[in-house]
Amino acid sequence: MIKLALRGARANLGRLILTLISVVLGVAFVSGSFVLADSLRSIFDQVSEDAFAGVDAQVRGIENDMNSTDGEIPRFDDGVISSIAKLPEAQYTEGGLFSFERAYTIDSNDEVVRPTGPPVFTGSWGGPSPVSSFRILDGEPPTAQQVVIDPVQAERGGFEVGQDITISLPFGEPEVFTLSGTIDFGEGGTGGAFFILFDLPTAQRVLGLPGQVDSVVVAAADGVSPDELVTAISAVLPDNLEAVTGEVVIGEQKEDFGSFINIFGNVLLGFAIVVLFVSTFIINNTFATLVGQRTRMFGLMRSIGASSKQIMQMVFIEAGSIGLAASGLGLVGGLGVASALKQLFSSAGGEFPEGPLEIRTRTIIVVVIVGMGVTLASAILPALRASRVTPLEAFRSGGKTARPLTVRIAAGSAVLLPGLILLAIGMFGNPGGTAATLACIGIGGALTFIGVSMLSAMFAGVVAGFIGQPVAKLRGVTGRIARGNASRNPQRTSSTVTALMIGLALISGVAVLTKSILDSFEEVLSESISADLWVFESNQRLEFSGLLVDQLAELPEVGQVAGFSPTAIRIDDEVLTATGFDSSTGTSVVNMGIVDGVAEIGREGIAVLDTVAEKRQLSIGDQVDIEFEDGYATSLNVRGIFDDASVIGADWLIDRRLTTEHRITDGITFAGLTYADGVDPAAGRAAVEATTSSFPQLSVQDNTEFQEEAEGQIAQLQIVITALLVLCLVVAFFGIVNTMVLAVLERTREIGLLRAVGMTRRQLQSSVRWEAAIISLFGALLGVVLGLLLGWAAVIAIPDSFVSKLGIPWGQLIVYVLVGGLLGVIAAWFPARRAARLDVLEAISTQ
Amino acid sequence: MTTTETLAAAARIVNGTKTYGDGDAAVTALHEVNVEFGSARFTAIMGPSGSGKSTLMHCIAGLDRLTSGEAFLGDTLLADLKDKKLTELRRSEVGFIFQSFNLVPTLTAEENINLPLSLGGRSGDREWIDTVIDTVGLRDRLSHRPSELSGGQQQRVAVARALASRPTIIFADEPTGNLDSNSGSEVLAFMRRAVDEFGQTIVMVTHDANAAAAADRVLFLNDGKIVHDMSEPTAERILDMMKSIGS
Ligand SMILES: Nc1ncnc2c1ncn2[C@@H]1O[C@H](COP(=O)(O)OP(=O)(O)O)[C@@H](O)[C@H]1O
Ligand SMILES: [Mg+2]
Repeated sequence: MIKLALRGARANLGRLILTLISVVLGVAFVSGSFVLADSLRSIFDQVSEDAFAGVDAQVRGIENDMNSTDGEIPRFDDGVISSIAKLPEAQYTEGGLFSFERAYTIDSNDEVVRPTGPPVFTGSWGGPSPVSSFRILDGEPPTAQQVVIDPVQAERGGFEVGQDITISLPFGEPEVFTLSGTIDFGEGGTGGAFFILFDLPTAQRVLGLPGQVDSVVVAAADGVSPDELVTAISAVLPDNLEAVTGEVVIGEQKEDFGSFINIFGNVLLGFAIVVLFVSTFIINNTFATLVGQRTRMFGLMRSIGASSKQIMQMVFIEAGSIGLAASGLGLVGGLGVASALKQLFSSAGGEFPEGPLEIRTRTIIVVVIVGMGVTLASAILPALRASRVTPLEAFRSGGKTARPLTVRIAAGSAVLLPGLILLAIGMFGNPGGTAATLACIGIGGALTFIGVSMLSAMFAGVVAGFIGQPVAKLRGVTGRIARGNASRNPQRTSSTVTALMIGLALISGVAVLTKSILDSFEEVLSESISADLWVFESNQRLEFSGLLVDQLAELPEVGQVAGFSPTAIRIDDEVLTATGFDSSTGTSVVNMGIVDGVAEIGREGIAVLDTVAEKRQLSIGDQVDIEFEDGYATSLNVRGIFDDASVIGADWLIDRRLTTEHRITDGITFAGLTYADGVDPAAGRAAVEATTSSFPQLSVQDNTEFQEEAEGQIAQLQIVITALLVLCLVVAFFGIVNTMVLAVLERTREIGLLRAVGMTRRQLQSSVRWEAAIISLFGALLGVVLGLLLGWAAVIAIPDSFVSKLGIPWGQLIVYVLVGGLLGVIAAWFPARRAARLDVLEAISTQ
Repeated sequence: MTTTETLAAAARIVNGTKTYGDGDAAVTALHEVNVEFGSARFTAIMGPSGSGKSTLMHCIAGLDRLTSGEAFLGDTLLADLKDKKLTELRRSEVGFIFQSFNLVPTLTAEENINLPLSLGGRSGDREWIDTVIDTVGLRDRLSHRPSELSGGQQQRVAVARALASRPTIIFADEPTGNLDSNSGSEVLAFMRRAVDEFGQTIVMVTHDANAAAAADRVLFLNDGKIVHDMSEPTAERILDMMKSIGS
């Protein structure tokens, strides 16, 4: 039996190879995701271990739900350093202070030196010591008015050790420091991030945090265990601080990196699963066709004594051998995929640290299970059908018994409906947790696609016939034959293009969502904004010093200016987000749609979003008890109710004086301003830019530029997602090639006839290509329509504050449909040539 | 044996030899055959299985090439033609009727009839096509697909298709082989009428003496050679001849 099955696989090798390719692509993507994530994890684990190798204990502020916003960790008084240093258990003690995106080196062209993706860290370094995370590469550790940086930054800026370099600082004018040396983080480079390190007093001064540190690292005296050290330190710590062992720190550090890598890996895996899912349709289609073509052989085998179980086993063994081969190739291909993905992401700006690619045993097991599983699962239905072939069918010429329409509608709906319900629960409901939501959307989406694919067989013939109408008109009989062939086997037509449909549905869904986001954004800009200029950190919308607002307010060219600062607040034991803003000037730059009361809430006031006010039964004049990040509690008076949170980004508005006083930093995320009356915009802008020039990370933009930049960024994201989804189209492509090869083979006799009565090779090729074009256009059209519906559903599901209206990128959608058709034409290239090359006589005499 | 005819030839083979394979495995399917097919005549070709009937037909119809010798369709030397010209020649000058699977399943009867014409981008002589359709009695079946037609009707559509472009010559390879005797004689009758009324040239390979008797002339093949050329055949004479060849 096995021999027979393998022989079957070998005899159909040509057709199976194409199927193999589509499985391999999916499997390779899965294994690539694992390989890449595992390799990154190893690299970052090593970095963490190196960096904290000498640290026996670390002292740090205790994070709570309020003080861990914006990635900054709590700071504390550096007086604690001396009390720890006095402990006999402590051999070496060092305080450290870090922040990011605060200071930048400036090169000789007055340009800021910064990496494209990763952040720039500014902080302190006490020089080589038992606890140092850094290692000097060249030169000396920094002393007063000296600085050390990483070598990549030095090279980028053209800085030599010993040279004076200008560094822009978060407060005040840029200063000149002498570059005393270059450093490396741990042993493994800096992962693309830049470092600017001073001695502790200088770091405290430039960061505006005198007397503050955010960690104290301690090396234990001889014979003292880390645990003993931690116990000893804990005894002298105030309540807001804690001590942990170096091992804990390394573990947390690994986890921090790990959780980022997990997200990254899971996103990749998500794409991989989509690709795999798409390829199951190809496998299924191939096996269904092969089984159909071999009905007579199976009948013959049954009549000479093969049991139906044996027939089924035969199909499964065939599928299994394909699965195994695909797993092996996919595993190897995964290495290629991993390095290709690395390339893709580094070209998009993120730099991956160097390191070997890693194939773990777990990856091998997963890949084999996935490859085999997917292939076997796809072969279930065809195998069942093969097993049902009766001995009699060996003597009948293959009259296919299609299942009755009602059964097909019932089966399709039985899959589609639960799919839609799950999808709806995932998008609109709240199934509890991100994982549950994703599971609902994923499984619901998969069922929806399967259901649509099953149901589409009902109308594939009619629609393909309709799409082929113009082809039949324009291309004469060649076109009519193409059209007839495209619609003659609706079942096959629909399963052939399922992969294309899914790929294009996802791609156009993303396109619809992107367009909707942009349109909503444009609406926000036109309706909610009255500022002439915006100031914000250009890289990642990070915070910058609120002092800038005061500096801008002093300019004669500036009319009104307001800064906005997000903060955590606690109301009724719930941690919420509020935006602090300059309430006396805010309405001149942002229209938050005050529906009751005023926006000028003042220091004792608070404004609340109308829906929230309704839910909490708040109205003008009520008092709200509120607690701030530093624990300060007060009661604020409700003075305004607003209905447009799109710019503010929070349900609560308070006065910025409160956030300045009661947050860890005084930072703001953006400032908006209007020009003074009669000021020429160019002159106004020049004045603003002159003021912001001491903060080179800041970007000054008017509304048009702001919108263009946002468009650019969202478009780039769309490109990355689309690029990953294009893999589905590649799989779809092989699926179409596969079907066309099978179709040509199946129709050898007919092709012979056509050639005999006068169809030229060229006409034959053209008719096969048109056939594929019509089939693909059908799939593309179906996919784009589905994508439109998915995008629309997403727009409804996503909160209005982010996406408020549906935008349809007609141009893109039309292009996708055409691309789909073109894909079919290209996919048919080889099968069409093959058909044209058939020997006429042999073809006619084929049985 | 050489056969010549006084009438203008619609097709001819001069010293035609066809060998399949080479070396020890070589099979000579046609052996220095000289034959002419006169215009407006109905010729039947008979002979035992493997005697070279199909090969002869294929070589003269431009579906296959002679190993040596010359095949002419009208005045055109087929050896000179590349695939494209040969295809165009088949399309306009040759009609085919095969034993089975004659029609394109996705096209209607009418589209099948017009197929060679439409492949050439021509609409043909509408009046003539109407006459053909009426002659074979398919007027009410024109919009049907082959799967909706009986075997006899399908063969009649094939006859109509072969006639539609008024080709120089029609080749029929056992056109009645798969039909019951009633449908078979109907199809034969149409072929006969095409020759008599429209002056069509037809060459038909058959195993059936009764079918061959409908022809004007019967050529007997054996071992790749023409062994007898019979005019005004009757079923009886044909059977005798076949016996003497020893099939
Ligand atoms: N494509 C081919 N390859 C090899 N031998 C062939 C081929 N076609 C026909 N023959 C051989 O040529 C001889 C004549 O075949 P054919 O013309 O089909 O005979 P008929 O039609 O009279 O039965 C036979 O011996 C046959 O086996
Ligand atoms: Mg024959």
